[in-house]
Amino acid sequence: MMSGIEPMRAEIEAIVGGGSVVSDDAVCRTLSADGCVPKSVVYPRTAEQVAAVLKCAADHTLAVIPCRNATKLGLGNIPARYDVALSLRKMNNVWHYEPEDLTATVEAGMKLGELARLLGRNGLWLPLDPPGGARASVGGVLATNASGPLRLLYGAPRDMIVGMTIATTDGKIIKAGGRVVKNVAGYDLTKLLIGSHGALGVMVEAHLKLFPLPAGRATFIFHVASLDEARDLRKRILQSPLNPMRMTLLNAEAGKVVWEDEAGARPGSTMTLWVEAGGTNRVLERYARTLGAIGSAAGAKVSTMEQGTAERSWARMVDFQSWLAEEFSDAVILRGSLPIAGCEEFVNRAQQGADKTKSRLAVFAQPGVGTAHLCYLDPSDYSAIVSTIDNLRAAAKELHGALLVERCAPEIKQRLDVWGAPGNDFEVMRKVKHAWDPKGILSPGRFVGRL
Amino acid sequence: MKLTLFQRALSTLLGPGGFLWRPEDLMLYEYDALSSQRVPDAVAFPTCTEQVVQIVKLAARENIPVIARGAGTGLSGGAVVTAGGVVVSLARMKRILDIDIENQRARVQPGVVNLDLSLAASDRGYFFAPDPSSQKACTIGGNVAENSGGPHTLAYGVTTNHVLGLKVVLPGGDVIDTGADFWGRPGFDLTGLMVGSEGTLGIVTEITVRLMRKPEAVKTLMAIYDRVPGATRTVAAVTARGITPAALEMMDGFTLRAIEDATHAGYPMDSAAVLLIEVEGLREEVEEHAEQIESVARECGAREVRHAKTTEARDLLWRGRKNAFGALGRISPNFYVQDGVIPRTRLPEMLEHIEEIGRRYNLRIGNIFHAGDGNLHPLLMFDARDKDQSGKVVRAAQEIITKCVEMGGSITGEHGVGMEKNELMPLIFSAADLEMMRRIKNVFNPGGSFNPGKVLPSGKMCGELRVQVGAGD
Repeated sequence: MMSGIEPMRAEIEAIVGGGSVVSDDAVCRTLSADGCVPKSVVYPRTAEQVAAVLKCAADHTLAVIPCRNATKLGLGNIPARYDVALSLRKMNNVWHYEPEDLTATVEAGMKLGELARLLGRNGLWLPLDPPGGARASVGGVLATNASGPLRLLYGAPRDMIVGMTIATTDGKIIKAGGRVVKNVAGYDLTKLLIGSHGALGVMVEAHLKLFPLPAGRATFIFHVASLDEARDLRKRILQSPLNPMRMTLLNAEAGKVVWEDEAGARPGSTMTLWVEAGGTNRVLERYARTLGAIGSAAGAKVSTMEQGTAERSWARMVDFQSWLAEEFSDAVILRGSLPIAGCEEFVNRAQQGADKTKSRLAVFAQPGVGTAHLCYLDPSDYSAIVSTIDNLRAAAKELHGALLVERCAPEIKQRLDVWGAPGNDFEVMRKVKHAWDPKGILSPGRFVGRL
Repeated sequence: MKLTLFQRALSTLLGPGGFLWRPEDLMLYEYDALSSQRVPDAVAFPTCTEQVVQIVKLAARENIPVIARGAGTGLSGGAVVTAGGVVVSLARMKRILDIDIENQRARVQPGVVNLDLSLAASDRGYFFAPDPSSQKACTIGGNVAENSGGPHTLAYGVTTNHVLGLKVVLPGGDVIDTGADFWGRPGFDLTGLMVGSEGTLGIVTEITVRLMRKPEAVKTLMAIYDRVPGATRTVAAVTARGITPAALEMMDGFTLRAIEDATHAGYPMDSAAVLLIEVEGLREEVEEHAEQIESVARECGAREVRHAKTTEARDLLWRGRKNAFGALGRISPNFYVQDGVIPRTRLPEMLEHIEEIGRRYNLRIGNIFHAGDGNLHPLLMFDARDKDQSGKVVRAAQEIITKCVEMGGSITGEHGVGMEKNELMPLIFSAADLEMMRRIKNVFNPGGSFNPGKVLPSGKMCGELRVQVGAGD
């Protein structure tokens, strides 16, 4: 069998340079997806190189998965084929940064942590706290439309990316949207590419809309006795005049992962609802007053947390996947996306199911947004977890939501579609995929409907 | 006069009251708020998705173009007929299907008037954020088609940021549901693609939108300047303080005086420019921001900063702003509204440039800006009976738009491309960019029967504004 990209190697090396095509097995393994190991990793440095590599791959029907730090390579169905990992780690430039306009243009390989440092100097930020945290790259976050708890106040990547540059499988570099914060010229290809999971083109740079950092922050923690109480609190907070930045509901198991191990700070066996607010001292005092009143009315105890401890706790909540993966390498992570009102009931069904099967379940939910991450820490056997997924998928559907499998072993993936069944718009999606990637070389088999 | 086969089929489908075919009736559908082009062959008024499907199928069989239309308030010719065909007016699909406060959303038919949704959600403390100046008349379907904005998009974003899902009739008559009742349904973001596609990809027959909770406090300030640069400096300075107002509007002296004559909103008659600034949120936040903005404005040279003390005073200030176009109609036989975007820090330079263009073409140009996000609406005054002047207006507008592009901006911030600017698309998009857009169009609308002649350039003309200014007046 012809192995990997060897026949095309010279062609690709001519594009990116000899040192930028690596076929070393150990390196390739770091970018494996669901057990599939790419045959080579290619490290382009420019948009032109990305486009040329894609063209070459299309000409030779090599399957390409774009990546950076591999924080999201586990997302998606098992790749149908995987020849080349196209790593954007050498593309970290800031092309344009205009603090007064609140806009910046950065390359897709830039890590969120680096970006945060740059913007922080001017009191600005890109208010995204996706899984992977500071290690996640701009490109990966956009490709997956990944967001975290900050979505409550600031929205998702689709709400703060005003334009981008994309390398296509024809070897072209195209522009979508623009650099200005308001722009409705032409079809909104930016929206199409955001969340397309590398199936249409490779985003090489993004034009970002920036936001001022809040003057200060405070974290409030409600100790919640039941999901009914959590629901009551969520309703009261969302109906109040407050606009918290983040709101996360943890069950006791999740609390153990997040909570700093400090004397007296342990949450015990209860659920907790974490609320973070931003603003000046006067505004934060108002949050304290109103949240205190809400707590009293709902019969839940509220406490605050020292800011440094709070920040470390939020970092763990945001990047819980990584924290869990260290201790629980087999953890299965599911995400329920629901109408807001259905969030607690969804968690309830998951919790009941887990109690019945005596599974260890950590829940990280965003009740103000309607998402719930369910982490099964030590799944016993594949059949059991597959049936859990089926049950929860039915529950999500009943609550007018959907269930996505974010992380699981390839053996489990073989038995299901991680995205769930596509809708009546799938035929259009299939045609869109074909129009942009006619040879099917980009992340083949991974996306919805195994596109 | 005899009905054509197609008109007869429509009559059977929709009943005699469900369509228009007499030339004198059709003439009314020749226009939108920009311009006119051709009279349609028929206007159909479906009342449900299934009727839209049937109309689309009929039209496809007869090879007749289909042009979806809301209230006809569009400013880029999006609903104007370019090659004959049937106008599908969604005016009778105007039911609010569901308001679901706990889930912060509403499901509406496309003909629901923008403001009516906010009014319907108002007593429960919620509103629909996109607020185009025409919000008393324009429909949510039209907002979706054009991805409309409004003054408050500075804080809340344009229509696309508020749409969760759509029901869409495709040119072949298939119906798809994009998005969902929740955020983050996996799959390509077809909702995001449909919004702003100006009726060229499908006809939207149901819309799920996000509702937002009304803020606890709102404060509206009017900063008055004797010199224009003070106002533009204030815009940058407010941003630099880390304040994002809900709205930050600028009007120049000429426009102000026209508005004041018509609306009596209490605008100063003798100033060079005013900023209308609104802050919203928690009471404490609003007070802090209002204080900071007032001091910034004074530092930048505002001669006076007024606070609207009551809801009535606030409404009056906004009424002036939102009725600006009407007010200008009183002082000039015709005017042409432009819509361009620049990086907000380039405002001072842009204003000088517009003034220079006005001088050179001997045209009066009023300026109303959504200054906070760099979205300009220069208003070019003229008399359509004067052919020479009409030509100058289009050339002057074209220069303004070209300058926006040179500054790194865009040819439209909220009015859309329509048939006014499709030939300008190559100013900001390369042939490769447009090719990828065309591929998307071909997926949805391969025969080009939906709203022909819009959004993408025809390739036949090169880079010109396509408008007969004043033709609609």
